[in-house]
Amino acid sequence: MSTQWDVMRELSTMQDRMNRIWGGLYDRGHAGHEDVSGHGAWLPPVDIYETAEKEIVIKAELAGLKRDAIDLTVENNTLTIRGQRPAEEGAADAQFHRSERVFGAFSRSFTLPNTVDASKVKAEYREGVLTVRLPRREEARPRQITVDVQG
Amino acid sequence: MTLVRWNPSRELASMEIDRLNRMFEEFAGTGRAWTPAVDVYETTDREYVIKAELPEMKREDINVTFENHVLTLTGERRTDFAADNGTYHRSERFYGKFSRSFTLPPTVDGNSINASYKDGVLTVRIPQREETKPRQIAVGE
Repeated sequence: MSTQWDVMRELSTMQDRMNRIWGGLYDRGHAGHEDVSGHGAWLPPVDIYETAEKEIVIKAELAGLKRDAIDLTVENNTLTIRGQRPAEEGAADAQFHRSERVFGAFSRSFTLPNTVDASKVKAEYREGVLTVRLPRREEARPRQITVDVQG
Repeated sequence: MTLVRWNPSRELASMEIDRLNRMFEEFAGTGRAWTPAVDVYETTDREYVIKAELPEMKREDINVTFENHVLTLTGERRTDFAADNGTYHRSERFYGKFSRSFTLPPTVDGNSINASYKDGVLTVRIPQREETKPRQIAVGE
């Protein structure tokens, strides 16, 4: 049986899965429930999609972060977003009534399929969302090959 | 009857309206509703601060209302047009409508509420009325 090769399946690799498992351990009880006992690691939600132009777009919610607090690296086909969100100013002296936001450091990694051109990564940060655009490598685009039949 | 000391924070903690809203939403089968993370705290200047994480929203899509000491944040985040025409491979973010309400103590000044939106975070500052602040009263002769 042949299965269609899904480029994006490669994006959700072991590494990222491990991140989530570890993150999930600390984050347990956070999703859907109100956890009074304080939360663990911050795991910003991410959307990944492929546009009609076959460009891969990664969008991460990093609300409250300053642009210079975000670190984006591509190494060995692995894209890593790291950052640190410090606690609010004056929060140390404040009396908290509700604390649902998570502060501290985060790291998320995604393995890029070899169809994208890692040297042409573009990133912008607006209104708390980091958008990373990865264009498709020129040679990875579908081509029409004409075969001459002789005889 | 025992006298119970009035604690404004208890009122904040009893923000059950919010919880009920969410329960109803879940019951209505709208799936997992978007519940933006919120911090509520009182500064040393006795000002209430509500911070809600609402990344990638348009200012005009966020509504802040105050009625009967209940502050309500509502809004809607639309999906990305480009994503709608593409293929999703990972979808962890929420889209659609949200609503969160917080009951504030009667000491707050509803006329001086200030809201700002920066880096995807909505900050609402609610000062307390001047006359409810602690005062030092000099003792005369």
